[in-house]
Amino acid sequence: MESPLTPYVPVAIVLFLAGAMAAAIPFIAGLLGPRSPSAVKSEIFEGGNPPIGSARQRFAVKFYVVALLFIVFDVEAVFLYPWAVNFQQLGWFGYATMAVFAATLVVALVYVWKKGALSWES
Amino acid sequence: MNIPHLTFQDLLPVAPAGVLVVGAIVLLLSEVFLSTAQRTYQAVIGTLTALLAGAVAMNNAFEPARAALQGYVVLDPFSQWMTVLVCLGTALASLLSAGFLNHRNAERGEFYALILFSAAGMSLLAMSAEFITLFINLEVLSISTYALTAFLRRGPRPAEAGFKYFILGAFSASLLLYGAALLYGATGSTRFLDVGLALPQAFAQQPGLVYAGFGLVLAGFAFKVAAVPFHMWTPDVYEGAPTPVTALMSAGVKAAAVVALVRTFLFLVKGLSPEVPFIAFSALALLSMVGGNLLALPQRNVKRMLAYSSIAHAGYLLLGVAALFAPATAKGSDAVGLFTATPLLGSMPNVAASVYKGLLFYLLGYTVTALGAFGTIAALERREDETRSNTWDLERFAGLAQRKPGWAAAMAAFMLSLGGVPPTVGFLGKLYLFGAAVDAGLLGLAVAGVLASVAGVYVYLRVVVYMYMRPAPADAPAPFRHWTTEVALIASAVAVVALGVLPGPVTEWFSRAGMVFGS
Amino acid sequence: MSAEQVLFWVFAVATVVAAGGVILARNPIACAMSLVATFFFLAGIYVLLWAHTIAAVQVLVYAGAIMVLFLFVLMLMSLSDQGPVMTFSAWRIAGVVAVVTVLAALVLVFRRLPAQESLAWSGDAARLGDFGTIKHLGAVMYTQWLFPFEAVSLLLLVAIVGAVVVAKARV
Repeated sequence: MESPLTPYVPVAIVLFLAGAMAAAIPFIAGLLGPRSPSAVKSEIFEGGNPPIGSARQRFAVKFYVVALLFIVFDVEAVFLYPWAVNFQQLGWFGYATMAVFAATLVVALVYVWKKGALSWES
Repeated sequence: MNIPHLTFQDLLPVAPAGVLVVGAIVLLLSEVFLSTAQRTYQAVIGTLTALLAGAVAMNNAFEPARAALQGYVVLDPFSQWMTVLVCLGTALASLLSAGFLNHRNAERGEFYALILFSAAGMSLLAMSAEFITLFINLEVLSISTYALTAFLRRGPRPAEAGFKYFILGAFSASLLLYGAALLYGATGSTRFLDVGLALPQAFAQQPGLVYAGFGLVLAGFAFKVAAVPFHMWTPDVYEGAPTPVTALMSAGVKAAAVVALVRTFLFLVKGLSPEVPFIAFSALALLSMVGGNLLALPQRNVKRMLAYSSIAHAGYLLLGVAALFAPATAKGSDAVGLFTATPLLGSMPNVAASVYKGLLFYLLGYTVTALGAFGTIAALERREDETRSNTWDLERFAGLAQRKPGWAAAMAAFMLSLGGVPPTVGFLGKLYLFGAAVDAGLLGLAVAGVLASVAGVYVYLRVVVYMYMRPAPADAPAPFRHWTTEVALIASAVAVVALGVLPGPVTEWFSRAGMVFGS
Repeated sequence: MSAEQVLFWVFAVATVVAAGGVILARNPIACAMSLVATFFFLAGIYVLLWAHTIAAVQVLVYAGAIMVLFLFVLMLMSLSDQGPVMTFSAWRIAGVVAVVTVLAALVLVFRRLPAQESLAWSGDAARLGDFGTIKHLGAVMYTQWLFPFEAVSLLLLVAIVGAVVVAKARV
């Protein structure tokens, strides 16, 4: 492993393919598709109803709580990643280590769930 | 892979924090699983948990000093006694909160859980011996106090206070982290012990880096301690937070931050001359003592006045910290002393031991006094007053002695104790602390402290004068009745007087606390 | 120039361009998207420095979670099309002075660095071993750094409770 980039060659290939697809498909569609524009077709389409007002509206604060909780649990996932890579070597000690860590966050999850912070209505 | 070998002995120092965390989890789950309207039981759980944790810590305080848990924490009497004080303050704050929240129909398990979490953070902060551990524990403490500050969100004041505290607190924590990162860059370790050992060489090579690291770490701590000139947030935050939370912040957060400050710098200056931190601590102490008391003078708002008073008290504590780093203290401890690695019971230099004793006794006195004083204010607040600007005006205390003589007497005791008037615990605390500072050769600073506190006495006596010599206004508030508030206030008042008259057993315990790991 | 050096310049220039987009774009959503791009290119630079874990965390937490929070904040605010009016205030001058000072300091420090050409990429790899990899981090974090690691779980629990109390609880 001479270069830090060696393990990332597959990632680079995927990124390249994804980018190439995203660029190529609209281009090919524009090239091949028949076109007959009309006034009705170029209107904004919003669920069949005529569009009202601006699309930039304020969102309810409940989205924000979900985002906050997402961050915290995402950080927890970051801690799981190196643990999973070393699972074999860490053995039962590592298992107990992570069990304590995860149990604390299960308490958090139970609290959040029962508190209703995840429920959409209300 | 090196699987560490941990024993029961390793878990001893963190046992009080463990008890607090378990209690907090029980409270969290009780809040979401039990749905009774009557929630005073939560305050009782909170109080009992804190008392149990305090008992565990007191048991630990008689253990010999040592490092534990792979060196991330230390077990020593200083941090364990500080945990006892924090638990005492937490228990009183839980009891005070019960009546306060009940009156506002805002009793929630999360509130007590956050109080216990912050106490756990304080306890862990006091024993941290490594920068990453220190930072994590500081954040546990800080995040729970931010949330507590903004707990009553109805009015604009709690929201503003919570926001200010959060922004400035996060800023100060990042200063501390930056300083720690610079010291890590200079020495290659985050463990206080290794940093201290590597610093002389690093200092010889890059003095600027070491100074910058010292300065940033010190500034981060000074924010938490609320020392002048890092005090700007204090009045607004203390005024806007729920009053029992203010009480906990002024006593507990400060206590934990002072211990962490002492421990960090004891290790850091091990290989260096303690002169620079000594000068910095002296300057902070002088500015805080004088500034806090002078700024308190024009305040008619009693809650705000107590916020400035807590700045002044931070100054007195920093006087003690400065005394620890004074040249005389270091000189008196050449053999087994302050700046060598192995502490030995009984051969502790007397000056340092008496400073530690003074610091602990002072914090004990300040904890019971501040909790009592803020508790009395909390009991006189009315829910419907929250939007009014004169909620905490001196006028509200006018004639309290005729209406409620017991409450007035308790408040008078707290005020006299804050001012350092005998026979209260506040007087003895100042006596021990200033005495130790004089022993350490800080005569000038001690005199300045005494003069500043004389100015403070005027502020505190004004409250007493209003209570005893002014007629009550027509709409004077009567304190609300809740047995928890009364238990907490009676306990604080009795402690303030009893410790002021009979300090013997407690000072006996604290004199052992001179044995500090790292000193 | 080796492949790594070419990639370094690609990532470095792209990072600066994307960062410029964050502060120059008129549409806040475009700013946020430029920030995502900045995070990704920074992650590339971290990889070149053998900091694989930090690169992964950069993508997972910053480009993922933190950006979600940014976008939610943008959606919480009422966004209109016009950006803030450019004003010429004392704060703006102070900001320019601060930026120029920091830039000058960085340039000065950079010019004083010793030449690093002796450190070839392969030499770096041999010197560093598996330092910076996720495997190495895990081997150390769950054994030698046990207590701070467990303390983090307490910190996360407190953060969750605090967030719910401040944003959700009806008091």
